[in-house]
Amino acid sequence: MSSPPRPGRVVAVTGACTYLGGELLRRLEEDPRYERVLALDIRPPSVTGAKIELIKLDLTQPTVDSELATLLERHQVDTFVHGAFLSHPTHAAEWAHELEDVGTMHVLNACAGVEPRRLVMISTTLVYGAHPKNPNFLTEDSELRGHRDSRFVNDKVRAERQVQRFAKEHPDVEVCILRFAPILGPTVSNMYTRFFRRPVAPVMMGHDPLMQFVHEQDAAFALQKAVESDAAGAFNIVGKGVLPYTTVLALLGRVPVPMPQLVARQVTKLLWATQLVGSPPSFLDFLLYLCVADGDKAKRELGFSPRLSIKRTILDFLGVAPEDGATDVARAQA
Amino acid sequence: MSDKPDDDDEWYSDSDPRVPDASAWPDGDLGFLAYHDHRDRSGPIYSDLGEGELRELERRVEQQRTPVFPIDLRKRLPLEAVWRRWRSLAMWGRSDVVDDFGRDPRATARWEWLFEFLYTKWFRVQAIGVDNIPDEGRALLVANHAGTLPYDSAMVMHAVRRDHPARRDVRPLVEDTVFHLPFLGPIMNRIGGVRADPENAERLLLKDELVAVFPEGEKGMGKLWKDRYRLQRFGRGGFVKLALRTGAPIIPVAVVGAEEAAPMLGKVTWFAKNIGIPWIPVTPTFPWFGPAGLLPLPSKWFVEFAEPIVLEYPPEAAEDRLLVNRLADQIRTQIQTMIEGLLGKRRSPLLAAFLG
Repeated sequence: MSSPPRPGRVVAVTGACTYLGGELLRRLEEDPRYERVLALDIRPPSVTGAKIELIKLDLTQPTVDSELATLLERHQVDTFVHGAFLSHPTHAAEWAHELEDVGTMHVLNACAGVEPRRLVMISTTLVYGAHPKNPNFLTEDSELRGHRDSRFVNDKVRAERQVQRFAKEHPDVEVCILRFAPILGPTVSNMYTRFFRRPVAPVMMGHDPLMQFVHEQDAAFALQKAVESDAAGAFNIVGKGVLPYTTVLALLGRVPVPMPQLVARQVTKLLWATQLVGSPPSFLDFLLYLCVADGDKAKRELGFSPRLSIKRTILDFLGVAPEDGATDVARAQA
Repeated sequence: MSDKPDDDDEWYSDSDPRVPDASAWPDGDLGFLAYHDHRDRSGPIYSDLGEGELRELERRVEQQRTPVFPIDLRKRLPLEAVWRRWRSLAMWGRSDVVDDFGRDPRATARWEWLFEFLYTKWFRVQAIGVDNIPDEGRALLVANHAGTLPYDSAMVMHAVRRDHPARRDVRPLVEDTVFHLPFLGPIMNRIGGVRADPENAERLLLKDELVAVFPEGEKGMGKLWKDRYRLQRFGRGGFVKLALRTGAPIIPVAVVGAEEAAPMLGKVTWFAKNIGIPWIPVTPTFPWFGPAGLLPLPSKWFVEFAEPIVLEYPPEAAEDRLLVNRLADQIRTQIQTMIEGLLGKRRSPLLAAFLG
């Protein structure tokens, strides 16, 4: 489960400007076992430290793979964390594809040449897709259905398939894929936080699927665990408990707007086309059907179990203090 | 008080030690929320306080300046009282904790009266052999299925909750067509229904729950009046595999009365697929009376629970297709016999169905 401390590890992180990337940098900076951390992104992250070395790297450039390979070789990188993925859908779908799908190819090309000891990839549970046939708890072996017409999800599915193939071809590299449930919290920004910040939210009339979130602190802790441990394979990183969608909206005090499916699809299509909302029409499927993952494997093999319940996560996102008065939500009893 | 600047925003800056964790807020503008209590600000507040008192003071301050919804929205809609009221109103009839499969205790309590009415007054259900269900531990209830809407699973569930000494909760497995029906599906889920899926059933049984399956599935619901009380094929024996894998005893259940509650005279498949259901049922009341026609007729019901059958096979036997099919058919025959026994109790075939 947890590896014996190996001093002098060098970790490279792509997507250092993302929430998880930044948190990881901060945690690695404080940990004496890590000698150096390479923060790779197109702009400098907000976190700085004595061990952190910022390197400008654009994964959409055609020859970035050899550049990355030289970098890994020169710094003797031991663990590579690939987290350069978008947290919300964008209208620049071509660019998103270049970054996520092709960018992952570049990363894998570099890793195939240098073979770092460990490769950690950040993914989401959205790759399972919301499907009427989904069981209540999707395990890591479930099929990655993605979504019929969501490029946002499908790019991540394609990236993950590449990484899985890489894992098969390079048994010497420990490949660990973390599939995070939607992350909520006071500081993180992603599709779900933007969606829930609006005062009104669409509800598919007569449908009320169960939803699952993970608190940002729990998610960052899981990523830290994944970098430390030597477990390989895919892991679902999920929070404690589930809640129906309408209960989530009620807890948040958002006004649900029930819409028949046909109307909802047309309205969101229009709003998406005019760039008024940040969630594409394909997202509506996640308000119709279940997409809830099972976090048991992460508990068994990674030693990660979430500390915060879904209710506490939602209230913390909202900015409501815990009832026991603890100022640090992560320590509060939810 | 003398050292307090007039500008409240400045006074409540992020560096103030009494603001516990200013960076945790989504927006740094805390002055907007500041609680103005001039009495608390003067004098050495913290110097002579113990750890517990300090905690309590912090908690109170926190409570006073806790935003109920994010600050950027508060600026736009400064009607906090209205929002607070809305939040409590929206939580009416639902609890903020549901179990892993979506059963909401408060929603269950909310529908309890309806089931109690149907059970005692409308169907006058007579439950036989409820004591055969173990007080604890896993078991698989296998029942016959009938009726346009799954009243039978609701009644089996209610019978055990009401008449069993341990008041156990049954988790009925609901077929996809019902589970994904608008309005009905979510309600079924909130009161304990689970989508019929082998993985879900196995997970529930491993948690030592009581699971009710209706192996006839959709075919049982779509039975015509002329085929009443004639059991359909029991799926592919999935429930036997489940019992073998989890070591759960099987309890055969016979439900009599559901067929007369919604006698299906015919079914229309035309247009049904377009609205996401396999067929449109034609009963004496539906669709002639609109949605009210879906209400069941007041037939007299019997629900009989047989003794648990413990399958004396190792879990690997679930792979033996011949054995699985034989066991499935054995249980099907037993339920058919139980049904015929219950039907024999009724005095005349049709009228007795209603008068009991």
